[in-house]
Amino acid sequence: MSTQAGPPPMVQAVGASKWFGDLVAVSDASFSIGAGVTALLGPNGAGKSTMLRMMCGLARPSNGSVTVLGKDPRSDVSVLGRIGMAPQQESLLDHLSGQEFVELAAQLHHLQRPVEAARQAIHTVELDPDDTRRLSTYSKGMRQRIKLAQAIVHDPLVIALDEPLTGLDPRQRREMIELFHRLGSEGKCVIVSSHVLDEVERFGSRVLVMAQGRLAAEGDFREIRNLMDDRPLRISIRTDQPRELAIALLDRGVISGCRLENTDLVVVDTTDPAAFRRAVAPVARDRDLSLLELRPLDDDLESVFRYLVAQ
Amino acid sequence: MNLAVYRVILRTQLSPARLLVLAGLSGVAILLAFVSRAADDTVEVATQTIANFGINIFAAFIALSLGSAALGNLVEDRTLVYLWLRPVSRHSIATAAMAAVLTVVAPILVVVMTVAAVVTGVDDLVAATAVATALAVFAYSGIFLALGLRFERSLLIGLGYIAIWELLMSRLGDWFARLSIRSYPMSILSDATDVSMRLADRSTLASYIVPLAVGLAGLLYTSWRLTRTEID
Repeated sequence: MSTQAGPPPMVQAVGASKWFGDLVAVSDASFSIGAGVTALLGPNGAGKSTMLRMMCGLARPSNGSVTVLGKDPRSDVSVLGRIGMAPQQESLLDHLSGQEFVELAAQLHHLQRPVEAARQAIHTVELDPDDTRRLSTYSKGMRQRIKLAQAIVHDPLVIALDEPLTGLDPRQRREMIELFHRLGSEGKCVIVSSHVLDEVERFGSRVLVMAQGRLAAEGDFREIRNLMDDRPLRISIRTDQPRELAIALLDRGVISGCRLENTDLVVVDTTDPAAFRRAVAPVARDRDLSLLELRPLDDDLESVFRYLVAQ
Repeated sequence: MNLAVYRVILRTQLSPARLLVLAGLSGVAILLAFVSRAADDTVEVATQTIANFGINIFAAFIALSLGSAALGNLVEDRTLVYLWLRPVSRHSIATAAMAAVLTVVAPILVVVMTVAAVVTGVDDLVAATAVATALAVFAYSGIFLALGLRFERSLLIGLGYIAIWELLMSRLGDWFARLSIRSYPMSILSDATDVSMRLADRSTLASYIVPLAVGLAGLLYTSWRLTRTEID
């Protein structure tokens, strides 16, 4: 994987692997991350959380190294003062109020004015610092936001957020993404993990794609998106005349193979999904066929990532 | 010690259910003291009561309940990350947790057991009870603090340790007894009242030093474990 030119990377992994017994969670990942928003994309179980945990020193690489600002976050406690993290789990110190929870983080980061810093961070995530309710009463969206507040209260340089948009409504998501970009434009390194492709698209950022513990792709989101769009696709088509439709599509050169499944069902393979999408409706119309259903058989995120790994 | 961590863990220690159990066991201790006062051989019965109930049951189980939960609950509900992911030394987190446990356990147990000793009417027992209970609480708290961080089902393991090792195996011979925490504070009680008790034949110096060493060892292990453990 490439190393970014220019200023030294804020986060760097060199051949980082992590295994738990026989289970390989992360395998030989190498990358560098600088300032700005970087999305860590991958399906559940791909190794994203483990990667973030290694970046924050919560887990030790079984092999290789992960450094933050040139230091090992596992052994150098001082670098933790420059890292903010919102872990994936929902659990919080439920007996505290939101203000107390964030204030605790501020105190442990040795801030001069922990109360004011906590209030500011809570304001930033659009919660009320005067809300005295315990965290146990918070909704999922509020819990996500208070986790973010404790991660940014000390103005860290590296911010690792594990699935931070889960549980937020569309407006909150939009505002959180704006916040990530604002933090990124301030020179901070914001790493956001997600398993939702469309969500990451909205970050419009650099992307690290993880699948099956490996770094499957790295680069600008558009490049990754193109790579994903170019992959072969298998599509099930329900129509009143499957044989005629398949022949027509083969004639147009938009499918590479087909298999009749039933009297009203044909499964086709295409290496150019975009051309297929453009052609299928006109072909059906020209031949007076009824298109009853079009269903991609391997368009789930897992298959997308499997394809990227194979590439 | 980190005061912010201390305050947070202290608040988790003070649940209504725990305070209720503490109040109930305190009541039992005072009641047993009244009963032993009425016995023919008051000194022997009082000493046995303080040792068997105060040290072997009250101190051990309360220290287990609170000590194992201090960090163990944070591990179990995956919130230790909010303390660990900060630029504070791991030793200060361990010390704060130990201090939080002792803040709740020590005053209650020492005061209640000392009051119980006063109630028995055996003057020689009063100061010895205060010291023996304090030492037992310190040793058990250190052990169970470490246990809570090390094992997932620490309460169950701790119960097994108390029942099998402290209460049963320690009776199998002198070497087993030496590895039993309770034999040391019991020896302090035995020295004070000249009442002979099984297991209570440790030297005076060892009776004071070993519980302190065990508590400190538990604290040091907890610190070490916090630097080594992977946080979920």
